[in-house]
Amino acid sequence: MSPIVRTWLGIVSVVLMITALYMVFVYVPTEATQGIVQRIFYFHVPCAWVAFAAFGIVALSGVLYLWLGQDVWDDLGYAAAECGLVFCTLVLITGSLWARPIWGVWWTWDSRLTTTLLLWLLYVGYLMLRNAGGDNPQIARLAAVVGIVAAIDVPVVVVSVRLWRTIHPAVLLTRQGGHGLQDPRMVATLLFSMFTFTVLFAWLLMLRLATVRAQTRIHRLELGLALAEAAAQDRYSEARSIERKSIRSS
Amino acid sequence: MTAFTAILRKDLTLELRSGESTVALIALSLLIMVVIVFALSQAGARGAEAAAGALWIALVFSGMIGATRAMAAERENGCIRGILASPVDRAALYAAKLAAAFIFMAIAETAAVILMVLFFNLEFDARLIRIIPILILGLAGFSAIATLLAALSGRLRAGDLILPVLIVPLYVPALMAGVKSSGALLAGADFSMVAPWLKILVAFDILFIAAGCLLFEHVVGED
Repeated sequence: MSPIVRTWLGIVSVVLMITALYMVFVYVPTEATQGIVQRIFYFHVPCAWVAFAAFGIVALSGVLYLWLGQDVWDDLGYAAAECGLVFCTLVLITGSLWARPIWGVWWTWDSRLTTTLLLWLLYVGYLMLRNAGGDNPQIARLAAVVGIVAAIDVPVVVVSVRLWRTIHPAVLLTRQGGHGLQDPRMVATLLFSMFTFTVLFAWLLMLRLATVRAQTRIHRLELGLALAEAAAQDRYSEARSIERKSIRSS
Repeated sequence: MTAFTAILRKDLTLELRSGESTVALIALSLLIMVVIVFALSQAGARGAEAAAGALWIALVFSGMIGATRAMAAERENGCIRGILASPVDRAALYAAKLAAAFIFMAIAETAAVILMVLFFNLEFDARLIRIIPILILGLAGFSAIATLLAALSGRLRAGDLILPVLIVPLYVPALMAGVKSSGALLAGADFSMVAPWLKILVAFDILFIAAGCLLFEHVVGED
């Protein structure tokens, strides 16, 4: 991806984010029962969406890496996992900030909270594995396997934690088919915020991907340089010994 | 199939002669049970649900330590190279290692169940037989993940530290299902009441055994 596209994406996401902040703090009406705290929801839900999407990218790039064997898929998986962890952490933090005044607790073992926590833990495991790998050439394949296995786990987690009683508000879709957002301005703000976070995520992902790819390239260049140096060293000592011999013989 | 039986027989013969894994797993389960009983207050360490919880904690933690051993033993004298060099299907190799891990863990788990009855003042009655299918499903799922991930983490420097971080979050759905359903069954609930949990366990096992068979070749490479 060219740097120009990245720059433009950055500019666009800054503009979008300022607009989203205006909408969240000024445009959208305050929710009647929850009050001002509810506004965090317009950041909470987009973060959750991005965290899950990032996880999908990790799994998908794992499949593509094992299938096609191109380095770019491995780098993409790495970058998506790092960005995903940031957004997943934000989901947990914003959720806690909201839950304290509304539910009276920072944390509860509700199904969606548990799922998100497990997703976060899976991300941490994946990134710990990558860090432990160092320059092990096999780490890309191993990480791809972990990414795929974790993605298989997520639906099972969702089903099993749902069997526990859930108290999380069903904002987007309730069983009756309606949703909890009465005001059209709330829907507009949420949708705009989701779009903003998607663009922000795309920008961060591209920046991170470029860094990861640069790191891979530097690593290769360093290896090549070390080899060249070793070769040059050999030739230098060879030249010195020839020189010494020629001095002695003269 | 012959490759599967050959590798499994090798593992079982090794185990029969040394008894390393099973003895260690039983000892670990005992220790974990003792720790739980001491850690819970006298009031907490009572009842079917606490007993089921202790049983599954023992399973997960002894299993994690056992899993690191299973592949380390293969690596120690380069045995894994011999197996990989022979024309063995990687899925058969995975299935054999899984079966061996399952058998060792099942032996340790039998001991853990007896300890659970003794420590938590339960009865040796029909209720214990009814949790057997739950335990078999739970152990199969655990062996499936642990075999795949132990082969994976064994190739890294700090692999022993990474393994629990990977296994525990992955195993949580099966752990929830196992604890909930065996707790209910020990308390005298009917099988129909735990049916949803049983379904989750079966789905978990099928998914991860299939994933392991497909992905194992990427995990055991030449090194």
